[in-house]
Order: sequence, then structure tokens, then C-alpha cells
Amino acid sequence: MNSAIRNRLLLILFIFGLGVYALLPSLRFALMSEDVKSNLTEEQLNYFETKSIKQGLDLKGGIYIVLEVDLPQLVDNLAKNKDKKFNEFVDDLRDDYNDSTLDFFTMFEEEANNKDIKLPRYFISYGKTKEQIISELSLQSEDSIKRVIEIIQNRVDQFGVAEPTIQKQGNNRVIVELAGIKDPERARDLLQSTALLELMIVKSIESTTSIIRQIDNVATVSVKEDKKESINELFTDEETSGNLTFSSKLISIGGDLAVSADDLTSLKEILDQNEVKQILEATNSLILTSNSSISLVNELGSEEEFYRLYHLFDNAELTGGVIDDAQMRLSQSGVTAGQAVVQVEMNSEGSREWARITGANINNRIAIVLDRKVHMAPVIRSQIFGGGTVIEGLDSIEEAEDIAIVLRAGALPVPVNIAEERTVGASLGADSVSQGTLSMIIGLLLVVIFLVLFYRLSGLVASFSVLWTLILLLGVLALLEATLTLPGIAGLILTVGMSVDANVIIFERIKEELRNGKSVRSAIDSGYERAITTIVDANLTTGIAAAVLYQYGSGPIKGFATVLFWGIVVSMFTAIIVTRFVFDFTTSSRNIEKLSI
Amino acid sequence: MKFMENTKINFMAYKSFGFAISSILAVGSIIVLLTGINLGIDFKGGTAVGVSFSEEISIQEVRASLKNVSVENKIYDLSGEEIKYFGEKNDIMIKIKSLDNQPENFGQIVINHLYDSLNEKAPKDKNEFILSLGSVSPKVGSELSGKALWSVISALVLILFYISVRFEFKFALGAILALIHDVVITLGVFSLTGYEITLSTVAAFLTIVGYSLNDTIVILDRIRENMKSSGTVMFEATINKSINQSLSRTLITSLTTLLVIMVLLIYGGEVIRPFSFTMLVGVIIGTYSSIYIASALLAYIYQNSK
Repeated sequence: MNSAIRNRLLLILFIFGLGVYALLPSLRFALMSEDVKSNLTEEQLNYFETKSIKQGLDLKGGIYIVLEVDLPQLVDNLAKNKDKKFNEFVDDLRDDYNDSTLDFFTMFEEEANNKDIKLPRYFISYGKTKEQIISELSLQSEDSIKRVIEIIQNRVDQFGVAEPTIQKQGNNRVIVELAGIKDPERARDLLQSTALLELMIVKSIESTTSIIRQIDNVATVSVKEDKKESINELFTDEETSGNLTFSSKLISIGGDLAVSADDLTSLKEILDQNEVKQILEATNSLILTSNSSISLVNELGSEEEFYRLYHLFDNAELTGGVIDDAQMRLSQSGVTAGQAVVQVEMNSEGSREWARITGANINNRIAIVLDRKVHMAPVIRSQIFGGGTVIEGLDSIEEAEDIAIVLRAGALPVPVNIAEERTVGASLGADSVSQGTLSMIIGLLLVVIFLVLFYRLSGLVASFSVLWTLILLLGVLALLEATLTLPGIAGLILTVGMSVDANVIIFERIKEELRNGKSVRSAIDSGYERAITTIVDANLTTGIAAAVLYQYGSGPIKGFATVLFWGIVVSMFTAIIVTRFVFDFTTSSRNIEKLSI
Repeated sequence: MKFMENTKINFMAYKSFGFAISSILAVGSIIVLLTGINLGIDFKGGTAVGVSFSEEISIQEVRASLKNVSVENKIYDLSGEEIKYFGEKNDIMIKIKSLDNQPENFGQIVINHLYDSLNEKAPKDKNEFILSLGSVSPKVGSELSGKALWSVISALVLILFYISVRFEFKFALGAILALIHDVVITLGVFSLTGYEITLSTVAAFLTIVGYSLNDTIVILDRIRENMKSSGTVMFEATINKSINQSLSRTLITSLTTLLVIMVLLIYGGEVIRPFSFTMLVGVIIGTYSSIYIASALLAYIYQNSK
């Protein structure tokens, strides 16, 4: 063996070795039984998880969510002295923004100009001129997205998901990927709940009666189209619904007002009317419903769900910002014994405030409000020291655990909406993996048979190179810590099909040279030489397509582009260098007169 | 095995015939695309829900169940939405257009509704019931469409540039026209079958662009090589010779690629099927176009520039 050939052999063996070495953890991990896996230490598990080829969400199951900060809501929250004109402005802005791809603050400025909105009137604390206000508001929005990311990171960490990814997209979006999640509904709620805890004083019965009377005078109550309602009307001799007033929707349950579940939508509509909003704002009132319903038997003998209604001071006495710790526990005493509750502990500042508030409001009721739903509204019997409180009225242990998590992690500064979601159930992902693997094996076998039929011994050499293409490509993916997605598996199979191409181009050239009467040795040499430019040109253009895909694509598509790109690189290596070496090696030692091609 | 060796087919003699077929296919495809291109939720916005029942279920049953879905005490009639089987007759895929003032977590609400109303046919564990859930807001949808369009355009421009540098602009022109031809016809066939265009089919389209180009370049490379000895005299003969010389390679590569694509189509599963189908059509059209569009156009261009 001459030294040039030996050096090439060493290089090839080195690269093969590297590929196999990179793949080893993935192989060992994949072949490990569940028992052995569960016995691994944290450190070992971590090693295998980072060194193995990762499976994307579409294979493993899980959720991919793009959350978008509700910028119109943020602006609305920051505004002061809101009036009818401003409310309309925000509503229109929200509608237009949802249909457009323009930047929010560009639209904000334009819309404010069109509607002749005097920004300093509502945002005086952010600046005196329009420009100042807009730049300050956009700073606020950047700040809020930063906080949203931090808080979501906290929540996900506490929820305990393996390898979550959380990243910012654009100016106002966060991408959250949670692989292997079994219960997408719960995860989604955990991410999205604002988790704003507010402690608010309940207003007196007299002021509640007065506010209901005022609302009755201005509110227009629409005729309900609900079937259920119309059936009810057939049986009750109520007059036409045109005479319905706000108060007619209310009943009294144990001293609290309540509204039927069927009327929740119309209640919301009433409270959203501008005239009603103005009355509430003028009296610092806020009307909220309870988080859970009570079922009562109505006069027709059927069960009906009711939500309690609370009339509160709109200024929160305390908010979740003062929370030090929140834990789920099972209630030990009282009517709630055995139910899951959340025990909240406040920091020293919060405790002081809490003692002051409870001291000043003895015999008043205080509402514990989470995400604008009243969980409970007990009467304050005595001043409370030590800064502790309990949240009751939760459906399940899971709900209590999740509320404890979101309270510990902190409230989102602004609501977030789901702009895009892709959830893949674990079973669909597992199907895709087994179908993909099966296709890969069958595809590989067919290609090998085809090549051997066409090119005999040389076809065997080509099959060898195709097999190594696959091994090396997987090795590269493991080294890059790339994520394998379903389109990525398709890319692998496609690479098998296309990596044959370079071999075919070379073999056909060699055959041509042989037909032209060249010797085996020189046919191989000139065959390779002439084929190389073609192969490089052809593969580079596919590479361009792969690069564009990588640039543009998200998640699964990126996975495909990565596989396609490295497939090209690796298949060029195996076709040009590895097969050439095999030919050179076999023809250098013996004088071969006829090539099996 | 000897396969297509030393062929002397006069490809260029049939080039008018080729152009005629291509024109008919392309015009047909454009008409199909104009009358209704089936965009998925990725580009239009909306919600797609996949659920798996434990036994066979009829589309009518699902449709009837979707007649009244109650969300926050408002009734939605979703029976007019697109409902179809997803592979097996247990699995159902529902595509819902995006609604104005769509309630939060609409997809999950629909899943919960189906789970409750068709409970006797649903698996015990609700998490086994959910196959997939996708929702895209119209805003994100239009952003994704824009990006997809840009990606195809920028890929074409980059490739045009690359071939112009490596070959000549005349070569690049033929190659790009062949690519557009491939993409348009594949899109047309694709739309006819009722599959919808999603992000992963866009990936398939870009792969076709790469693949079909691969084919074209192998032939153009031969033409360039043969032109060195024969120049531009007898240009059609040179082209014929080049196509014949690379014919066995073209066919063998297309065959192996088609082989694995067929495997993907048969065994690859439901999720990847539109992708595999796009590739299948694209590879066939791409192989044809590298002979009849890219090379034949080159012949026209040279003839007219003389």
C-alpha cells in the first residue's frame, strides 16, 4: 500500500470513527429498556439527552405555542382619564391590528391622528408630545415582553418540563416549546393565565342597590336568541323581553347577587356598554363574577347554574406582587375540609399592608380575586397579622397546584393571546416515528437491490457509500445537537434516494470511458474527474434551496433543511472520496482487466 | 445491466410537441389554481383539530355533533366546516375557518365538545383522544404566506444568479423557466387532488426546485462540455447528443428517487403524505422538464440569437 492511499484510508477511517462515536449515545439510549432508563442518575440522563439526536415535537408529542402580548390591552391599561372616545379608539385599533401585519405603534400613531386623539390627555405621565409618548409606550412594551418571558420561564421551570425552549420572536411574541407534554390543556392554561391576584374590598349593599338602579336606567338589554331562553319564556308568563332590565337578570343567593350561567354573555355585553362603563368608572366600581358556579333548582324543577356577582372597589388594596410563597395544601377544617386550597404567604411589606387593610375594614368583606374572577369574599372579623391568606373554591388538586405555581412565578404584566399553536398528541408522534423508520429501512433495501442489479460489484460499493451516508448524516445531527422532525425523517429518506445520484453520475461516466476503449485504471480516473464538476454544481444548487428553507422555516421545516443540507455535504464525501478510495485501492494492488460495473 | 446505453434518440425533433404538452399542462394548472387553491390553516388562519376514536365513526355523526358547540353559553354551528378521515376510519380531522371574535382556546373547546358528545366511541384517556391541534391566527397566517412566497422567490433568484455565474445567463434562463414550469404544474396537480398547501408542502416545493435543478444542471453541464468541441453550429445535434449521453443517469437517478418516494407514500403515514405526493409529482415533472423545457428552450434561445 503506498503512502498516499494509506493516508486516505486513515482519513476515511477517522471520519467513519467520528460518525459512529457521535452516534453511540443515541444508539445506547434508544436501545435502553425503560427499566434501565428509570435507574439512571440525573447526570447520566442529562448526558444521554444532550448527546442523543433529539426528537422534535411532531415526533415526541408536545406543544408549540406562540404567545403574543396583547399590545392594545397594554396601551389601554397604561392610559388614564379614559373616555368614550378613547375606548372606541382602542376597540378600532384592536380590530385593525388583528387584521394587519403592520407594526403596532405605527398603526397606533396613524389611528390616533385619524381619530384626532390627543395622546397627552390620556398619557400625560409618559410625555408631553405625541413622539415622546409613543417612544415611551414602546419602551414599556419592550419591558413588558421581557417580563413576560421571565415569568413564563419561571412557570415552566416550576411545572417541570424536560428541555423547554422559550424564545422571543419579533417585538411582541414568545415561542414556547414543551416536548412530551401529556396534558396540553393544562399546560396551555399555565402559560396563558395572567395570574393577577388582587385583594379588593366589597362595596356595601346600599351602594350596590344604587348602582344597579343607575345601570337599569341606561343599559339596553338585547333580546336573547338562545333557544333555552325562549323555551323558558314559553313557560313563564314574563312579558316580552324588550322590557327586560339589568336587574331582572339578577337573583339573590344567601345575601349575594347571582346571575344565571345562561345570562353570562348578556351580562358581559351590558357591562361593556359605554354608558355603563362610565357609571362604573365615576363611582370607582367594578362588577365581577365568581370563578365557580352554584347549581340551584329553578321553578321548573330543572337544575340551573348560577354565578355569584360582586360589586367591588375598583382599586386593589393589595396585588400578587407582595407574594413570597404560595403552596397547594389540603384544607384541614371548616366546610372546605379535604379540598385543595392555596396557602399564600406575603413578604414583610405585604404583611404590614395586609394588617393595615384588615384592621381598617373590620366587618367589611374582602374579595380574593384571581384573574378577575372572585374566588371568595369572606367578612373580615379581626385584624390579620403575619401576612397569610388562603384561596379556596378550586376544582381539583391540579388546579390548586397550577395556581400555586403561577402565583409564585408572578403575574404577567399584560395579557397574552395565542397567535399560533401546534399540539401533537404522543400517539400520533409515535406512529410517525415507527412509520418513518420502516420507510427508511424499506427504502434503503430497495435502493441497495436496485444498485446491485444495475452495477453489480460497483453497485455494492455504491450501496456501501449510501449506508455510510446515512450513518454519517445521523452522526452529524447528533454532533450538531440538531432536532429530528418528521420532515427531517423524510429528508433522510430523500437523501438516501439522492445520494445515489452522485454514484450514478460517476459510474455512467466510467462506463462511457470504458466504451471509448480506455483501460480500467484510466477510465476510473477520468470518470471521477469529469463527474466531479457536475456533482458539485448539481449539489450546490440543492444546497441553496436548503439554505433558503433554513432561513425561512420554523421548527419542523428547519429540521428538514438541516438534514437536506448535511445530506448533500455527507453524500458528496462518500460518493467522491470513499467510493474513489475503494476503486483506487482494489485497482492499485492488482491489474484488473474488467470492471464489474 | 445495460440500460439506455448508446441511445440516439432525436429529442429535439419532438420539442414543439413537448412545448405544446407543457403549455397545456401549465395553463390547465393556472386555471386550477385560480379557481381555488386549497390553502391550509398555516396561510389562511384557522383551527385544525385531529381526534382519534376507539372505533370507526362516520363523518355524519361528527358533523351532527358539531351542529351546536356551546362556548361561554353561545352556540356555534360548526357542521359546515371541513371534516374528513385522517388515514383510518377512527381518526377524524376537522378544519375550522377562523371566526371573528373567536373564543380563547377554541380548538380545545371543540375537542372537549366532541369528547363529551361522542363519549361512547372515545377512548377513556382524553389525552389519547387528541391527535393534534393546530391554530393559527389570521395575522400569523398572512405573515407565513408572505414568508413562504419570499422563500420561493429568493431561492429562484439565488439559483438564477449561481447558474449565470457558473454557466451563462442563457443557460440560467432556460433552467429557471423549467423550474417555474415544474412548480406551477406540480401545484396544479396537487390542488386537483384536494390536498391543502401547508408549511411542509412548501418545503417539498423547494426540494423539487433543488431536485429538478440537479437534473437540469447535469444535462446543461454535458451541453457545455460538448459545445467546447462542436461550438454552436448544429446546436440541436449537440443538445441531442448531450441528452442521450446523460439519459441513463437521468433515468436511473429518477427511478431510485421515485422508489424511495413511493416507499414514503405507502409506509410513511398520513402526516407526511401530502409531502410525499408533492415530491412524486415534482420528480416526474422535473425529469421531463430538464429534457424538454431547459434544453429545448436553450435550443430556441441559441437559434434566435444567431
